[in-house]
Amino acid sequence: MKRARNIAGYAWAVACVVAVLATFIGNDYFSAKLASATGVTISPWYSGGEIVRSIDHGAYRTVIRRPVFDGLIGERKEGFIQIEWQPVTALPPVIEDGIDFTGDGKEDFAFRLDTIAGRGTLTPRNPSVIAVETLVKVNQGWVARIQLRKVS
Amino acid sequence: MQGFFLGLSSGAVCAAYCAPVLIPYLLGEGRSVLQNFSALLQFLMGRLLGYLSFAVFAWGIHTSLPQDIVHRNLLIGAAYVILSGLLIFYSFFKAGRACPSAGDQGIDHRLRESRSSLFLLSMGLATGLNLCPPFLLAVATAAEQASLLQSVLFFLTFFLGTSVFLIPAPFLGLLRGFSPLPVIGKMAAGLIGAYYLFIGATMLAGGFYR
Amino acid sequence: MTKEHPSQGKTVGVRQSPGKSFLLALPMMLLTLMMMSGGKIPADPQRLFVFAVTYLFFNLLFFLMIHTGKTDRYRATAFITYALLFIVSFISHMFEARGSMSLSEEKIILCEVPFCHLVIPMTLIPAALTKTIIFPGMITGGFASIASMFTIWIGASLSLGRGWCSWGCFFGGLDDAFSRILKKPLLRKIDPRWTYLPWAVLLAVVLTAAAFLSPTYCTWLCPFKTVTEFQAVTSFKILVQTIIFVSLFIALVIVLPLLTKRRTQCSLFCPFGAMQGLTNRINVFDVRIDPHICTNCKRCVKACPTLSVTEESVRAGRPLMSCMKCGTCVDVCPSGAAAFHVRGTPVEGNRNIKRLLFLYAAFLFLAIFSGGTIQDGLSRIIRLITTGSMI
Ligand code: SF4
Ligand code: SF4
Repeated sequence: MKRARNIAGYAWAVACVVAVLATFIGNDYFSAKLASATGVTISPWYSGGEIVRSIDHGAYRTVIRRPVFDGLIGERKEGFIQIEWQPVTALPPVIEDGIDFTGDGKEDFAFRLDTIAGRGTLTPRNPSVIAVETLVKVNQGWVARIQLRKVS
Repeated sequence: MQGFFLGLSSGAVCAAYCAPVLIPYLLGEGRSVLQNFSALLQFLMGRLLGYLSFAVFAWGIHTSLPQDIVHRNLLIGAAYVILSGLLIFYSFFKAGRACPSAGDQGIDHRLRESRSSLFLLSMGLATGLNLCPPFLLAVATAAEQASLLQSVLFFLTFFLGTSVFLIPAPFLGLLRGFSPLPVIGKMAAGLIGAYYLFIGATMLAGGFYR
Repeated sequence: MTKEHPSQGKTVGVRQSPGKSFLLALPMMLLTLMMMSGGKIPADPQRLFVFAVTYLFFNLLFFLMIHTGKTDRYRATAFITYALLFIVSFISHMFEARGSMSLSEEKIILCEVPFCHLVIPMTLIPAALTKTIIFPGMITGGFASIASMFTIWIGASLSLGRGWCSWGCFFGGLDDAFSRILKKPLLRKIDPRWTYLPWAVLLAVVLTAAAFLSPTYCTWLCPFKTVTEFQAVTSFKILVQTIIFVSLFIALVIVLPLLTKRRTQCSLFCPFGAMQGLTNRINVFDVRIDPHICTNCKRCVKACPTLSVTEESVRAGRPLMSCMKCGTCVDVCPSGAAAFHVRGTPVEGNRNIKRLLFLYAAFLFLAIFSGGTIQDGLSRIIRLITTGSMI
C-alpha cells in the first residue's frame, strides 16, 4: 500500500512536468477546444449584443444591435442599445437616423450624429429611451450606446 | 437575484451579529446535529416571516416615493450613504452587539430555558424585523423594485442569501473552535459597504447637480 | 531519539558537484531550447543575441539551483526579471498599438482588452449562469485571449497549484522585488487576521462582479494597472478608481513589502492568490516540515514572505494553504526539516529527487511562460539604447 502510494506520487509528479509542456505546446489547441466545448461568448454588456438589422443608406449603413437587458438571471431594468454607422470613410458630415428597435413600426428615438465635431444628439420618442451612454469612433465607424430603462 | 447577492454579501455580517445569540443557544447542552437543525429551521422560519412583512412595507415605501428620477435618486442615494456608512461602522467596530435578539438578556434567559419553538420563531422574527445595516440596505434596494411581487421576491432571495451563512451553525457543535468566516465576512461587508457608499454618494451628487 | 543540530549545510546539503549538476540540468537545457526556440533558432543577429542571452540566463540559474541546493534566490532572479521585462514589453506594445498606456473607449467597445488571470475568479459565476464572459476581451486569437489565459491557468493549477504565485505570475515579481531590498524588516508585527483579507476581497469582488456583471476588481482595485494599462480619466468615477488603484500599488506593492519584507500584495490582498490557494489542495507538490528533524528554531516562520508558516503550522508539519512554494523556508532551514515534497511519498528521504521533480515542473513553467516576454523586453531595451525609441 505504502509502495503503491509512493509510486503513484512520483508518477503524478512526472505527469505534472508533462502537463507544463502540454500547456504551452498545446495552448492553441486547448484554447480552441475550451472555447468550443464551453460555448462561451463575450457578455453582451461588452460586445454590444447581436446585430439584428442593418439599414442601407447607399454609401454607408446603420447597424442596429439588439437591446441588452441581460442580467445574471432574467433581465435587468436598466440596459442599452448599440447602434453603429459604417464604414468610417463613407460617412457624411451629418447623419440623421430614426431608429425603431421595438419593431412596432414607430420610431423609438432619433439620433443626429455630427461626424466632424464628434457630437451626437438624442431625441427620445419612447419613455424607455434615456440618454447617450457612449459615443466613440472606432476604426470601422462610429458606435453609440443609448441607455434604456424598462418602463413598468 | 440582486437580493440573493446582497444577502450573500451581508449574510456574513448577519451571521456575525446573530451567531453569538444563536450558537450558544444551539450548542446549549450538547444536542445532536439533527436537533440543532430543526431549531435552526424554526429560527429561519421566523426570520422569513419578518422579511416578508418587510417586503410589503418596502413596496409601500416604493409606491409613495416621488416618481421622477431626480428625486428618487436623491432619496435612495441618501439611504445608501447612511446605511452603507452604518454597515462599514458595524463591520469594523461593533460586531456582536447589534442583533436585537441579543437584546434583553433577562427575558432571553428565561425563554431560553423554556426552549419552546415559539421562542425560536419569535427570535427569528425579531432578527427578521431587525434594523441591522445589511437589512436596511436591502430595504433601500427593495424600494426600487416596481411591484409588490418583485419586492417580495427580492426579500425572498435576500433571505436565501443570508441563510447560507447560518446553515453551518448547527455543525458548529462539531467544530466549536475558531472559524475565520465571521472575520472574512466582516471585511467583505466593509468593502461592499464602501462600494455602496460610493454609489450612494454619486447618486446624491448627481441629484443635486441636476 | 536525540535531536542533533546538524552543522550548516552538511546533512542538509543538497549541493551537487558541478558535473552531476550539469547532467541533472541537461534535460532542462534541451527542453528550454526546444520550447523557447519553437524548433528554429532565429537568424536575425539581434534576435539571435537576445535569444542566446535569455537562454543562457535561464539555464545558468537552473544549473546554480541544482549545484548550490538553494532555490529562492535563483527563482527570484528569474521571477523579478520577468515582472520588470513584462512591464517594458507590455507598455511598449500598448504604445505601439494605441500610442499611450491608457485604455481607450474604443478598445473596450471593440473588445480588444488583453485578459489577465486576475479576472478569472470574477468570470466564473456569470460564465456558469449566462455562458458569457464579463470582460471586453477576445475569446480566442489576438494578444492574451481569454481562452488561452484560462488554459495556462488550468495548466498551472494542475502542475504547480499556488506555485503559480512564485513561478508564473507576471506581477508577483514586483512585490517580491520590493520585499528583498532591505536587509531587516522595519515592521515586524502583522496581525495574522490580515491574511483573511484576500478572502474577503475575493468574496466581495466575486459577488459584486456577478451582481453587476462587471469585473469589479479590475475597475476598482487592481494595483497592477498602474504599470500596465488603465482607463483614460474621463469622469469623476474613473478618477476615484484611479486614485484607489494607484494608492494600493504604492502601499501594497512598494511601501509595505519594503517595510515588512513580506509579499503584502500577494499574501494580504490578491483575490486570485486566495483562490489559487485552493488548488494547492489538489496539487502533488507541497512543502513539508519533518517534525523529527525540526529544532523549532522558527526561522521559517520569520522568513516566509507570504506569512504561510506559523508556529502551529510548524507543529503540524506543513505550511498553510497559502504557500506559494517559493522555497525560502526550505533555504533558510538550518536542519533540513523544511523540504519540497511529493504527495503520497514519505516525508523523510529522497529530498533531492522530490526537489528536482518540483523544480523541473516549476522552472520549466517559468522559463517557457516568460521566455518570449523576456526576449521581447530585452530587444525593446536594446532598441531604446540604439535608436532612442522602444517601439
Ligand atoms: S511556506 Fe515556504 S515555500 Fe511556502 S510561501 Fe512560505 S517560504 Fe515560500
Ligand atoms: S526553519 Fe522551520 S522547519 Fe527548519 S528547523 Fe527551524 S522551525 Fe523547523
